[in-house]
Amino acid sequence: MLRNLKAFLIFLALTLVISGPAFAQDAKLIEAAKKEGGKVVLYGSLESDTVEAVRKAFQKKTGIEAEYWRASATKVMDRALSEYRAGRPLFDVILTNDNPLQIMQKQGVFAKYESPSAKDFPKDAIDPNLGPRYRNVIIGIVYNKGVIKSADAPKSLEDLLKPQYKGKLVMPDPTQHTTTTQWVASLFKLMGKEKSDKFIRDLAGMKPILVESLLPAAERVTTGETPIAITYVKYAFIFGQKGAPMDYVRLEKMLGDGHYAPLSNKAPHPNAGKTFIDFFLGDESMNIMARMGEFVNRKGVFPPLPDADKIQFVEMLDLDTKGFAEKKKEYAKIFLR
Amino acid sequence: MNHRSVAAGRDLPAGWALSRAGIFLTQPINLIFLGVAGIIAFLSLYPTFFLIYGSLTDAPLGVPGHFTLNNYIRAYSDPETYRLIVTSFVFGLGASGLSVVLALTLAWITIRTNAPFSRLFELTAIVPNIMPPILIAISWVLLLNPNNGLINASLVKLFGWQQGPFNIYSLPGLIFVEGLILTPLAFLIIAAALKSMDPALEESAKTLGSSEFGVARRITLPLMRPAILAAGTLNFVRAVESFDTPAIIALPARIEVFTTKIWREALGSFPTNHNLAATYGVGILVIALLFVYLYRRFTSQIESFSTVTGKGFRPHQIDLGPWKYSASLVALLLLILMVVLPFLVLLLVALLPYYHVPTWQTWQNLTLDNFRYIWDTSRVHRAFANSLFLALVGASVCMLLAALTSYITVRTKIAARGLLEGLVFIPWAFPGTALALGLLWAYVDFPIPVYATIWIIMIAYVTRFLPYGLRAVSSTIIQIHKELEEASVACGAGFFATFRRILIPMMRPGVMAGWIILATIFMREFSATLFLYSPSAEPLGPLLYFLYLDGMRGRVAAIGLVISVISILLIAVAQRFSRWEKS
Repeated sequence: MLRNLKAFLIFLALTLVISGPAFAQDAKLIEAAKKEGGKVVLYGSLESDTVEAVRKAFQKKTGIEAEYWRASATKVMDRALSEYRAGRPLFDVILTNDNPLQIMQKQGVFAKYESPSAKDFPKDAIDPNLGPRYRNVIIGIVYNKGVIKSADAPKSLEDLLKPQYKGKLVMPDPTQHTTTTQWVASLFKLMGKEKSDKFIRDLAGMKPILVESLLPAAERVTTGETPIAITYVKYAFIFGQKGAPMDYVRLEKMLGDGHYAPLSNKAPHPNAGKTFIDFFLGDESMNIMARMGEFVNRKGVFPPLPDADKIQFVEMLDLDTKGFAEKKKEYAKIFLR
Repeated sequence: MNHRSVAAGRDLPAGWALSRAGIFLTQPINLIFLGVAGIIAFLSLYPTFFLIYGSLTDAPLGVPGHFTLNNYIRAYSDPETYRLIVTSFVFGLGASGLSVVLALTLAWITIRTNAPFSRLFELTAIVPNIMPPILIAISWVLLLNPNNGLINASLVKLFGWQQGPFNIYSLPGLIFVEGLILTPLAFLIIAAALKSMDPALEESAKTLGSSEFGVARRITLPLMRPAILAAGTLNFVRAVESFDTPAIIALPARIEVFTTKIWREALGSFPTNHNLAATYGVGILVIALLFVYLYRRFTSQIESFSTVTGKGFRPHQIDLGPWKYSASLVALLLLILMVVLPFLVLLLVALLPYYHVPTWQTWQNLTLDNFRYIWDTSRVHRAFANSLFLALVGASVCMLLAALTSYITVRTKIAARGLLEGLVFIPWAFPGTALALGLLWAYVDFPIPVYATIWIIMIAYVTRFLPYGLRAVSSTIIQIHKELEEASVACGAGFFATFRRILIPMMRPGVMAGWIILATIFMREFSATLFLYSPSAEPLGPLLYFLYLDGMRGRVAAIGLVISVISILLIAVAQRFSRWEKS
């Protein structure tokens, strides 16, 4: 008992020594943030329910209000860049995926900020300019197990080409939906160039139902209209939680997109922005996000989806403007025949 | 300036021009004209200028670029563009044609016949305007998709067929849904014209022995032709530039229209090619303005047909005899299509934890969670407050401008009055998202700090939707005979007294009809405002949009239903203030 108490006291002392300066820094930053007006403005494509949960915890801890403008990644970039170029940026922090952030980074939108919370992320998940990749959004095969029994479900990407799945497959239009263009273009990372070229042609030959984006694809699975979709794996959890009979195919490796939370270098509330980033990348917020189905990159934190810890994430290829245009043109010939 | 006045100008002293300007400015109506023209020209031309500028440069806004025609060459040298314009034309003609047929049928039954419950049908003809078009399109996908659409599934079960008979993912499916969405506006125009029609010709035909249906075919329909064409043209433009319905229905059907091409190449491309989007926007603007010109010609014909005096009258009602119940049945059927079915689907979506084809088990899973979310979330309350403010104040400001503009264009002989109406239609002729870009560029560093406040949203709403208000009020102004104003002036009243005591009360039906249409749109609009609002002044439209983005269809449907209830209350209150039905 006494030994336990001693060990605990040593642990407590050590914790205080290590975290003391961090607390002090926190308090100073929060003080400065309050002097700026006590609010932080976020633009992003992170789901608003997730932000809402984080926002509440953030406000409780710091007393700082977070305002969030939610749109698709492309629109986030459009608005942020337009404001920035016009010299009227209203945002402090952007929460979106790699590709648009890299474009904004090249335009010089972001300040370099090394958050103390970054230390809990794996080294390979830290971008030198954008900071930690806080979540991976993973694309895989999701299906309706009310319509297709688990035993009859596809087991691999190649299985999707079996005749029994014809007419049952939905995916976003790779000639219109940017992330899907990127996904198709990155398949070579999973199966090699030759195999992926053939797979893409055969997949198009299955005449999948093409929809606007990844969400409508998943929604068509929940309603059973088309029981198999290429979409975000997290939808299996999100819709499953509401009672939809959803599951995902345990592919060996899955492609996905990384998301970051960089600070604007013309932030109207720079200290509030930093306070938010520290909190956002911290343990409490990452756990909140994981509980809501997100694959966060903080070590040892997983979403409550069966076998989530076994998923091997492969980051999708970054394409530039020209690359996107070429790929979209190429896929138009294959998919829209 | 014509020849004579040039010659006269040469002979007259220099002070003449000044003194004429002085005389021009002493007339209150001219001052109002200048004020209104200034406001409208600014609202319309300022964002348009940015769009045209954007189409002629090679760099995004805020970055110095070079003058270029490359965007135009790229957009309009592709032969596919023209093929898609043809598809868009077929789609536009089909959808606007259907909307006019539906609106005409409904308007004729409710206004000109003695079919029972006609007042109820007339009121509900406006109701679909309350719902965001995207929700109506989604409802129809849930009803008519070939795999498990509710109607198809029920028919399959009932008759033991292999497959449901309907497929929403087709050009007819696309036309059907867009046609239903466009019907309320066609109804507004056609109903107004039907109400203001001179009954003398019909009565003469009847006296000469024509049957009721003969009168309808030979007199009423030809008299209605300008209104039908006006409604058709207006809706044609709306269909051609609509994106929501094609995105949901045309894409899975693998039908491409002009707007989905713009989306693929410019707005939805990554990164967004604003310059190309603006270029396509300018192209649609040109086509749309051509149709607006046609629309103007048709409406000026309505004016010449409406030989109505200020004396009270009501077009006679046709006694359908035993057929009146069939007429009610037809109206009922249309309302089931336009209102009841989509609303029931939305209710189902709002009450289910996740949407699926209902089974017996479903009834045990129904939940009020989505409505509880509305009740519990302060952000939703704020959005309701913001949207109500925008609907009440925005619609009123818009109608005030519309009433003044309409008075100037219909009543006065001021030289540039036609131009004024043209200006009103410019922002409306752009596709919503292209206008959103123009507005963002125009107001982001505007000297008066309106950007990211609720006022910028109001500016956007007034800019985009003024034509609806104008249409509604113009049809009433035409009805008011000049003799009433002349009598007022003869009794010594000035312009303002006449405007307040004669015109405003007489225009009230049209003003209220327009106000209703605008207020219901303002309650839920989003495409023009998406780039402009800030999280601290968030209205319902953007809130619905991001809930939809996040896959919260249940919440979207629940909020949609609450918006409908509020809008219906607004309509009921507005109707009490108007004498619309009695006019």
